[in-house]
Formats: sequence, C-alpha cells, structure tokens
Amino acid sequence: MSKIRVEGLKYRYPDMDSLVLDDLSFEVEKGAFIGIVGENTAGKSTLCYALTGLVPHFFKGAYGGNVLIDNIDVKQSEISDVTSKAGLVFDQPFSQMTGSKTTVYEEIAFGLENSGVEREEMRIRIDNSLRLMDIEHLQNKNPYDLSGGQMQRVAIASVLAMKPDVIVLDEPTSQLDPQGSDEVFQVIAKLAESGITIIMAEHKLEKLAEYASKILLLHKGKQIAYGSPKEVFSRDDILEYGIAPPVYVRIAKALKLKNKAGFYPITLDGLKQQWNVGDE
Amino acid sequence: MEPIHSYTDKKSYIDQIDPISKLLFAFVSIFITYLFSSIPITCFVLLISIVLLMVGRVLRKIVPLLAISFTLLLSIIIVQGLTHPTNEMPLLTLGTIVFYQEGLTFALLITLRVFNMLAAFGVLILTTKPDDLMESLMKQGMSPKISYVFLSVFQLIPQMRATLGKITDAQRSRGMETEGSLMIRIKAFFPLLGPAVLSSLNMTKERAIALEVRGFSSKGKKTFISEEKSYFYPKFVRCGLIILLIAAIVWRIVG
Repeated sequence: MSKIRVEGLKYRYPDMDSLVLDDLSFEVEKGAFIGIVGENTAGKSTLCYALTGLVPHFFKGAYGGNVLIDNIDVKQSEISDVTSKAGLVFDQPFSQMTGSKTTVYEEIAFGLENSGVEREEMRIRIDNSLRLMDIEHLQNKNPYDLSGGQMQRVAIASVLAMKPDVIVLDEPTSQLDPQGSDEVFQVIAKLAESGITIIMAEHKLEKLAEYASKILLLHKGKQIAYGSPKEVFSRDDILEYGIAPPVYVRIAKALKLKNKAGFYPITLDGLKQQWNVGDE
Repeated sequence: MEPIHSYTDKKSYIDQIDPISKLLFAFVSIFITYLFSSIPITCFVLLISIVLLMVGRVLRKIVPLLAISFTLLLSIIIVQGLTHPTNEMPLLTLGTIVFYQEGLTFALLITLRVFNMLAAFGVLILTTKPDDLMESLMKQGMSPKISYVFLSVFQLIPQMRATLGKITDAQRSRGMETEGSLMIRIKAFFPLLGPAVLSSLNMTKERAIALEVRGFSSKGKKTFISEEKSYFYPKFVRCGLIILLIAAIVWRIVG
C-alpha cells in the first residue's frame, strides 16, 4: 500500500492567475526517498506545503484533487493531525527556530509540548533525536548561537521528535556549506533506511542522484516525469526544463556511455563501471 | 555574528521574580508616568526601572536602545521646543530660531516617559526567559497564539537589529558608506529600512509556517518540558504593585 497518494492535485495561490500545481498524480511507497527537482517557480515548495497540509489549510486559494497520507485526506483533516504524520523542514534554518526557547533541548521540545506529550516521553524522544542528528553536545546552547548547519540539524531533530512517518524537506541544504550538506544528506538517507518516508525538494542533483530512490520532475507546476534517478536524468529533453543533469550524466552523455536499458550512469561508481563495460 | 537573543540567565534577584509580576511592574510604572504629568515623578519612576536593570545586570543591553530612541525623539524635542501651543518664555536662541521653555519641558516629559517605557519593558524582557513568560501568560488564561504574539513583539527588536546588521554588511560590501559622520550614517540608514522590514515580514511568514508544522494550532492540552519554577513571593510582589497603583490613583484624585 502506498504511504502517500497524490491524485490530480491542482492549486493556485489567492493572488495569482495561473496554477502553481497543475494536475499532479503520483504515489510514494513507505520508506522511499523521493527527490523533487525543477527550476525556480516549478512548484516544488508549494508541493511540499501541499504534502504537509499547509496548502490548503494555511495557504488558502483554489485547490483541487487529493493528497492522501495513509489513505487519510489532508484536505479533510486538521492541520495538526497532518503535521503529526508529515513533518516539514525548510530552507531557512533561522526562521525555523521558535524564538521562545533558550536551549536546543527546549527548542526540540516545542512541538511535543504543543502535542501534549508527557514530560518523560518528551525526554526520551528528545534524547533520541539529539543522538540521531549527532547534536547531543549542542543541547544546552541557545539555538541562535549555532551555525546555519547546526541550526538545520536542530530543525530536523525537532521534526524527528514528533515521530512523523513522512519528512518533507524543502531545499534543506541551500544555506549550508558542502560539508554541512553532506552531513544532512547522510542523516536523511539513514532516516529513509529506518523506514521514514523522505520527500526532498533540492537543487543539488548530484546528491539526489546518489541518495534518492525516485525523482519527480516538475516544470511550471506540471509533472514532467516520475521515475528512477537514472530514468529521469537520462532524458534527452531535461535541459528544456531548466535542469542541468548531474555531472556524471553529462560526462557519460559526452562519452555516449549508456547501459543496456538506455540510461546513463548517475554516480562516479556507475560511470566507472559503465566505462569498464564499454572497454570490454 | 552578534547573538540576537535578548535573554541570558544572569542569576540575579530580578530573574527570581515571576514574569507576571514583572509585566505588572511595567504597566504600573508606565501608567504612573502618564497619571502624573510631572517630571520629578517620571524621573523617580525611571530611576526605579534603571535600578532594577542594574540589579538584573542588564543595564548595558538597554543603553543602545535608549540611544536609538533618543535620535528619533530629537525631532519631537525640536518641534515641541519651537511650536508647542503654550510656548511663551524663550530659553535658547540659535540665530533666528528660538526654543521655548514650555515646549522643551513638555518634550523632556515625553522623552522621560519613552525612556521609562523602554526601561520597564527591558526589565521584563531582558530578565525573563521567553518560554517562562509565554508559559505564565498561558497559565493566566491567555491563548497560546496571543501569548506568542506578545512575545514576538519583544523578540522583534533584537531580530530586526540582527537583520539590519546583515543588510548593512551586504550594502557595505557593495560600496555603500555606512561609517563616519552622523550625516553619512543617517543617509545610509534610510535605504536599509525597506529591505530590513521586507525581510522581517518574510521571516515572520516562515516562522508562522514553522510553528504551524510543529503543532502550534493543536487544540489539545499542552504540556511543558520545564519543571514549574518557584519564584520570589509572587503574590506578595503583585499585591505590592497593585497597592502602589491604587495609592497613586488615590493620590492623583485627592492631591
């Protein structure tokens, strides 16, 4: 059974004339790592909001179609019920801090306090999140004294503590340096392995090619492709949608190194392997 | 980057007073300065706020805020000194410009009131953990949303300062002069205001989303991670402040 089912999703913001999401339909399996790619204004962030119930509960506007998480319609549910199932992390680590907490430990507790979780249970969940995100040493620091990367890890830990089945991340590494990005991707891949469904809008395609199980390509709100990274990044028309495929795909294209299924390799290892096959 | 949070636990006597008493103090102190249009009384009330800031070891934090407000209050001082309707007695003459005693006295009263307002709320904000303030307000029956809005208003000042700092750095790197004489600083200040306000508005929207996805709108019962704090005789402090307020009103009516 699918964890998430999106059926003919359409959405337009109240002050806009055109659709930001135009007839999207796809399914996501439990524990999958889905990458959402597309140029700016493709609708990536809006889709992230729709998957977490912010559209249509927080952002009003014209809404059509369905988003179902565990067969429960997001539109018909309370936003707090949706966010307990699907957590959201977005690009600006600074804005995700509540401003009312003076330590990382308390910051992570914020969502749990709102959900009425008992203190002992809260402590267990916070300790687990701190350990998973490897930020135990930061627990007594003020969130605003942290670097962008550390803040982003606190934001993810705050979402993790809520024990969601799905985590939606909207360009979570856009403010981070390469090392910070690597750390975030590694942690997220670990979460996907543990059975949490990950949906991530991201511009760092090399990283998505390495970690994602499927890629959803959007362009001007329309769904262009939904398939394996190899399948999507091997498309001949991908440049037309403002997407420069990962560097290994470009090298493979230049060297005409396609596999038997007709796809280019998307990682360095894949490229090496394909090169050796080509040699033989 | 300079930290943007306003509260750090200084473990002072003022930190031991409960947030509601400090909030009550801010209101009583501001109310008294408006109840009596008297410079000595306003000075006295301001002095109390300053002493509390000193005891709370946060006086230095409020000084830049007072300096910024004074630059804004300068226009009031000039306008009132020149044009207040009761102006009669010239006090200062600069060429053909005459400043009158009545107008300047009135402007001084306004300045002292604003300073007291900032100092009194400074006592509350700079010596109270934001979370404790929010929790106390919620326990008094205020809705979490209104409590958060109340808190955000005070968080806004240090956050806008931080945003302004970032935008200033960005503009400086593009060649804008931001250091030097007062004139240069004023010229640089106004173009920064637009981006600072827009950026703050955007940040507010993002923060609203962040709160929403962390169950802030949840209608169920909320719990708290912190153990309930014991404060310095909260009922005694609050009663004292209420008695002071009543005494001030009675004095104003009778006196």
